[in-house]
Amino acid sequence: MSLFTMKNVRKTFAHGEVKEEILKGIDVTLPEGKITALTGASGSGKSTLLTIAAGLQTASDGQISFEQQELTSMRSEELRQIRAKQFGFIFQFAHLVPFLTVEEQLALMLETAESSLSKQEQKKEIRQVLELVDMWKRKNAYPPSLSGGEKQRVAVARAIIHSPKVLFADEPTASLDSKRSQEVMRLIQRLSKERHITVLMVTHDMDMLDYVDHVIEMRDGKIIQEDSIH
Amino acid sequence: MKMAWKEMKKNKLRYTILGSIVFLISLLTFIISGLTNGLSQDNASLIKNLPDGTFYMEEEADETYSFSSLSEEQQQEITEAQPEAAFFSIQMGNFIDTSDKQRSVAYIAATNSSYYPQVNFGEVILDASLEEEGIAVGDEITNEQWDQPLTVAGFVNHEKFSHSAAAFINPDDFQALFHTDTMQIAFVADSVAQNSNEATAFKELQAFSNSEFLNTIPSYSAEQLSLNMIVIFLLVISGMLFAIFFYMINVQKLGIYGILKAIGVKTGKLFQMMWAQMFIISVISLILSALISQAFQLLAPGGMPFHLTWPATGQLSLVFIIIGFIGATLSGIQIKRVEPMQAIQQGEM
Ligand SMILES: Nc1ncnc2c1ncn2[C@@H]1O[C@H](COP(=O)(O)OP(=O)(O)OP(=O)(O)O)[C@@H](O)[C@H]1O
Ligand SMILES: [Mg+2]
Repeated sequence: MSLFTMKNVRKTFAHGEVKEEILKGIDVTLPEGKITALTGASGSGKSTLLTIAAGLQTASDGQISFEQQELTSMRSEELRQIRAKQFGFIFQFAHLVPFLTVEEQLALMLETAESSLSKQEQKKEIRQVLELVDMWKRKNAYPPSLSGGEKQRVAVARAIIHSPKVLFADEPTASLDSKRSQEVMRLIQRLSKERHITVLMVTHDMDMLDYVDHVIEMRDGKIIQEDSIH
Repeated sequence: MKMAWKEMKKNKLRYTILGSIVFLISLLTFIISGLTNGLSQDNASLIKNLPDGTFYMEEEADETYSFSSLSEEQQQEITEAQPEAAFFSIQMGNFIDTSDKQRSVAYIAATNSSYYPQVNFGEVILDASLEEEGIAVGDEITNEQWDQPLTVAGFVNHEKFSHSAAAFINPDDFQALFHTDTMQIAFVADSVAQNSNEATAFKELQAFSNSEFLNTIPSYSAEQLSLNMIVIFLLVISGMLFAIFFYMINVQKLGIYGILKAIGVKTGKLFQMMWAQMFIISVISLILSALISQAFQLLAPGGMPFHLTWPATGQLSLVFIIIGFIGATLSGIQIKRVEPMQAIQQGEM
């Protein structure tokens, strides 16, 4: 049994009277501890699929299982707990909390994930992760004073500080220049390896595929191609 | 709590505005409530200073003390059932002081009463407000209709009736001056009443509790009602302000709420954050306005009827906090509704 699988996932949006099927039966199994990239034309349904997988919106039909648990039949509180403890998120924009310092963003994530670490250990962990993303020296800065790349690195740190099992990322490098993008990708790659995190990542940028293990290509709500790279 | 405080520190202006509005409204409420209470003291401290008990008037008097007259026999009957019953009469009137100035007062005669000063024949004891106006012990006061002047024998604090100073006189003087041989009102304090569980009923007499009796005083209930309505309106308005302000603040924060929900923060925690902010703002504003209204009480001119106790301030503050809590919670329903997806799709904040 694998860590994360989706079976026949469908999603229909109603535009008034007209119903439009955005996901038309998706079957995916994420290779454990590897990075899977989701590519495809704009509007093909990548973000919709990612957010459904991450439990941020519901599927119209199909099964999603994580560690043998069926996410689609869970109550919202159970789903919240899984999101808080087992999942990490990186969005296209960093979406940091504007009134918390870099360090506090991570502390909040640990608290939300109900981390079993002592306060002391949490401090150490925060330091380690911030050093990893090269943001320790800015630990007391507030998000509005950070550059786009810096914010995104903090977002990466927040997404992995609680050692999630699965990391969901929607175009995490879209707001960065290519040098910064490469840095963030290298970071995600390293974290995935070191912490054995399974990653599902939407990307437009073909250059980013250098860092992934598995590529899924979508078109019009269907998977048209799946490749293992390494 | 920590997050709530951090957010307020980062958005000082926003929360200072809310705080100062709450401060102003609560200050206004405290002041008006102090005036309400002050006027009520000014109007009826003579009655309000009495302990809890039962008042009796003649049924025929139709709840108007000046029409009530308890005959000797009725007084006898009451005293048999309630040996500690006190009897008193009130008559609005005036006198001319030594500087030929006319003063309106409420003349009071009381028998068998430890609540009011016992006055010798030919003497009068006045409310201290008249001492401030220049009347002194030993002065003789007169009235065109009297044969004899009365001598001022002393002063008592806070004894007013119908916005006039009380003038306690001997029951015999009262009978002579006002041509009556009855008393108007009987009073039995609960603490000395026989079978005190229930007020004793007497034939042809109507019983009143303290507050019921206060409401029979002309102008008292009307005055108190309108002032209390103002206080209630202010409280309701402050609740609505909390709701509106938090609504606006929340609308601006929906994006943050959505992201926090996406990463798994409990909705309850977001509510706690809002409550903590509401609580911090209210407590600071209320402490400030409580202090200022107390200072106002100290500095207000002596003749101004203003009376605000700490317990009354505390009670009002509690009501403020409860109303603020309700207001903030109502506005917080949006927090419950916000979907993480909206925030994610919205892009950078
Ligand atoms: N909440 C929604 N209501 C209605 N339609 C939606 C909703 N969310 C997405 N869609 C539609 O679903 C389709 C797929 O959207 P999605 O965001 O998944 O595409 P995408 O592959 O991520 O595109 P892009 O590369 O531009 O981000 C689009 O046509 C979009 O308009
Ligand atoms: Mg997308």
